[in-house]
Amino acid sequence: MTIYLFKRFGLAAVVVMAVLLLLFSMLHMIPGNPAILALGTRATPEAIAEYSARMHLDEPVLKQFVYFLGSAVQGDLGEDVFSNRPVTAIIAERMGFSLALICTGMGWAVLLGVPLGCLAAVRPGSWLDRVTGIFSVGTIAVPSFLVSIWALLLFSIQLRWLPAIGAGEPGNFADQLSHLVLPAFAIGLGWVGYLARMVRASMLEVMGEPYIRSASAFGLKPRRIVLGYALRVAILPTITLIGMGFGGLISSAVFAEIIFARPGVGKMIFDAVSDRNFPIVQGGVLVATGFYILVVLLSDLLIAWLDPRVRSSL
Amino acid sequence: MRDLATDTMLEIDGLTLSFRTNRGRVKALREITFPVRKGRILGIVGESGSGKSTVLWSVLGLLAGNAEVTAGRVEYGGKNLLTLNAEGLRALRGEEISVVFQDPMTSQIPVLPYAQQMSDILYRRSMSEADKRKAAIDMLRRVGIPDPESRVDAYPHQFSGGMRQRAGIAMSMLTGPNLLLADEPTTALDVTMEAQMIDLMRGLRDDFDTTIVVVSHNLGLIAEMCDDVVVMYAGEVVETGEVHDIFHNARHPYTRALLECDPARIADVSRRLPVIPGDIPDLTASLSGCIFASRCQKALPACSTTAPPLVERGTGVAKCHLLEGPFADPSWPPPADVTTVMRDTGKNLDASVTEAKPLLEVRDLNVQFRTMGAMKTRLRGVGRPFVDAVLDVSLDIRPGETLALVGESGSGKTTLGRTILNLQDAAGGSVRFEGNEIRNMSERRFKPLRRDMAMMFQDPVGSLSPRKSVRALITEPLLIHGAEGRNLDSEAERLADMVRLPRGFLSRYPHELSGGQARRVGVARALALNPKLIIADEPTAGLDVSVQGEILNLMADLQAEHGLSYLIITHNLPVVRHIADRIAIMYLGRIVEEGPAAEVFARPAHPYTRALVEGVPQPDPDRRRQKTDAIKGEVPSLLRRPKGCDFATRCPLAHDTCRESKPQHRQIAPDHRHACLFPLR
Ligand SMILES: Nc1ncnc2c1ncn2[C@@H]1O[C@H](COP(=O)(O)OP(=O)(O)OP(=O)(O)O)[C@@H](O)[C@H]1O
Ligand code: SF4
Ligand code: SF4
Ligand SMILES: [Mg+2]
Repeated sequence: MTIYLFKRFGLAAVVVMAVLLLLFSMLHMIPGNPAILALGTRATPEAIAEYSARMHLDEPVLKQFVYFLGSAVQGDLGEDVFSNRPVTAIIAERMGFSLALICTGMGWAVLLGVPLGCLAAVRPGSWLDRVTGIFSVGTIAVPSFLVSIWALLLFSIQLRWLPAIGAGEPGNFADQLSHLVLPAFAIGLGWVGYLARMVRASMLEVMGEPYIRSASAFGLKPRRIVLGYALRVAILPTITLIGMGFGGLISSAVFAEIIFARPGVGKMIFDAVSDRNFPIVQGGVLVATGFYILVVLLSDLLIAWLDPRVRSSL
Repeated sequence: MRDLATDTMLEIDGLTLSFRTNRGRVKALREITFPVRKGRILGIVGESGSGKSTVLWSVLGLLAGNAEVTAGRVEYGGKNLLTLNAEGLRALRGEEISVVFQDPMTSQIPVLPYAQQMSDILYRRSMSEADKRKAAIDMLRRVGIPDPESRVDAYPHQFSGGMRQRAGIAMSMLTGPNLLLADEPTTALDVTMEAQMIDLMRGLRDDFDTTIVVVSHNLGLIAEMCDDVVVMYAGEVVETGEVHDIFHNARHPYTRALLECDPARIADVSRRLPVIPGDIPDLTASLSGCIFASRCQKALPACSTTAPPLVERGTGVAKCHLLEGPFADPSWPPPADVTTVMRDTGKNLDASVTEAKPLLEVRDLNVQFRTMGAMKTRLRGVGRPFVDAVLDVSLDIRPGETLALVGESGSGKTTLGRTILNLQDAAGGSVRFEGNEIRNMSERRFKPLRRDMAMMFQDPVGSLSPRKSVRALITEPLLIHGAEGRNLDSEAERLADMVRLPRGFLSRYPHELSGGQARRVGVARALALNPKLIIADEPTAGLDVSVQGEILNLMADLQAEHGLSYLIITHNLPVVRHIADRIAIMYLGRIVEEGPAAEVFARPAHPYTRALVEGVPQPDPDRRRQKTDAIKGEVPSLLRRPKGCDFATRCPLAHDTCRESKPQHRQIAPDHRHACLFPLR
């Protein structure tokens, strides 16, 4: 188990490095001198030289990368080019908005999609099954940014039920919640159908397994068989899927934050890329990658906890 | 006559059901009628597809969704189970009627510990969780699980096959049911485990006064375990009776044929095994007359048009024209020593083994498997991260000879076969084929040798690609090994003829084949390149006795014709006796005894060999083994190989010296050796 965790963290470190290296080389290829971008076109050559030296801009990319890593392990992700505030502080401010969005988006998708898939599998061919099927196909096909735009147009502009932009007044929970509803709805919608399909398929497979027939042969209640036996096994592949799904959800969240002008990490990265505010971009991507890796690791550990066969092989 | 009300636990009366399929209605059961008497063990026997399992499942009301009961009653405790509502059925299941399943691996949920699975079964009882746990522990102890207080928290994958089936039996006995249904309870187990399971179930019947219905196609198990027998064929009951009557006084030609085909009952060792020619009839077609008519050696013209009478006899009934009515034949049934089934003598019986040099020579072969990674080994401080799956194995196979490699699961038989075929690397020793060293050869250099050595796989349907036609499958080896200038169509036909597969089958796909036909395709594939040696892994596992006979006869004919050598890997000893020239017994990767088949069977030297030979349930209720005969315990894990003799943990003759050092092989005749310090001869 400890060995397993060691391996996983080692792997995580490698993935983070690879992602950052890729990002570094991409940022480096963007035309324009970052120093001029940061200081403005009227900056004196001395100021530019001083800035470049401070930010290690005149050294090779690889070296810059090493400097970045070096300070990153010490918890220093550099400073915002414009405000000179530490990147970590800015991210800390905004992370809550993104986490709330992503977790609510996945949360309602799980709470609705898993039971739907389960019910559809218990009664294949019923109206519920058919409706779920059509709903799944319909929602999976539509990209989440389109859902965001439509939801914005319909519920905020046309019907005026919910606020359109921002994340709500700080400290006002109800207001924040009402600002969360639409973007969370938009990024989770496709996942409801996707999860329902997935759970339905694996439930159907598990319901055909001999051990389900054993449970019936021992006279267990159908409820117990479906929830305590079949779902217990069928949920395992779904958990992996959800873990991986957070990757997709992060990118959906970027669009949703842009469309709903929500001050999350996604919007922050987007703005920083347009402003050539590279320290913010780097810090944001690092945090997003780390978050994704953490979620996948948690989902794997959850599976190991639920499935003794996996547990004993760790 | 019997008093039905007090004497009968379950009465099946005129049960008729069919399955709706897209090929039409499969008339799977037709007028099944038999009583199950209280406190007795009833066996249902018959070929695959005869409807044995369907009968069991209809008792529980757990038939597949496409099943439709059209007539009949299943009477239990004054109720008709076929019309009982779902609630009523559920109240009986697990409480009064319980089940033991064929494959404990797939029939026990992998993610719940036994404690949970067993307390779930007791959900109707008003007991505290602690009491349920205690009940589970007590039952696990009763079925012979060592250390049940802690093992109750184990998950199924942490148990070995034998322990899993014991736990399965414990689960079904937990509520003290009146009626226990067991579908092929030992088919997934080894010979020594099977014997233990039979003892266990008989013991439970005596202790708890449970009535048992057991389904099996293993006549030995039926004879050993049952009091009453029901013989089924193609969805009908053809004969019933007490076990002694069925095995010694069979009246129905099918029962007679089934018994005569069982290799364990054939005393004279002959390479040709009897068979019941033909296949079970298509149950979607309209049926008339006697269902067995198409395969019956005694069939009269009237048999295929007029339904035979149901004749009461001593302890049961039989359904045949020969017994009563206008076609009665007073000379039927003939005495037991008269053969009533087909027994063609084959083409050339004296497949004499030439005294040539060995075709294959294996010397001191070792195969190791890594059990953990290098890092883990260092962290855990384990000395050797390997297990020896094959240890110091030496074997010879001469041209035209059949060597049988016998052992229980985990004994390394398949690994040895794969290593000989260079599908697995060896850690030491040598493998010579026609005098040339071939061990751990690169695949590129080994490829030409694949023409000379072929493998027949254990699971024919699983090893055949489902998307390829039979034609493509049997010519595939030719394509792989360059068939330039050969006409593949005529090759396919030649091979089909060789394995006696009708040419029409060439355009079929694997799922459209019966077990025996799929096996024939496997033989044809192995033969495609005219090999000199065929390694056959469990060539007849899962086949009915009659089909098994056909496949083994075919293999014997091909051997006689082409001078093939066979290495047959199996745990089926009765078969080995008929087909092998020599046998080698493997235990924990070592060969513990090797010698001429007849010698080894008649006078085994190693206690393990004797345990295997005597452990086979005899298809004769008069020759039941004593309860104490079965060897105790299970094959130890390779990770815990005993220091001294590998068999010492289970050997009834073990002395202290046996636990000190590994017994070396000793020659007791030019062709017979063993590895035991206190041999039986
Ligand atoms: N769900 C099903 N749909 C269609 N046909 C079925 C179904 N289940 C069983 N059958 C058919 O019913 C017949 C009896 O099958 P059953 O499984 O009861 O035989 P069996 O004697 O138990 O055979 P085996 O020894 O192979 O287990 C066979 O012809 C089989 O193909
Ligand atoms: S009725 Fe005829 S075909 Fe059927 S078993 Fe008797 S003799 Fe054979
Ligand atoms: S060496 Fe000893 S333990 Fe091993 S088989 Fe012989 S008698 Fe039994
Ligand atoms: Mg069956």
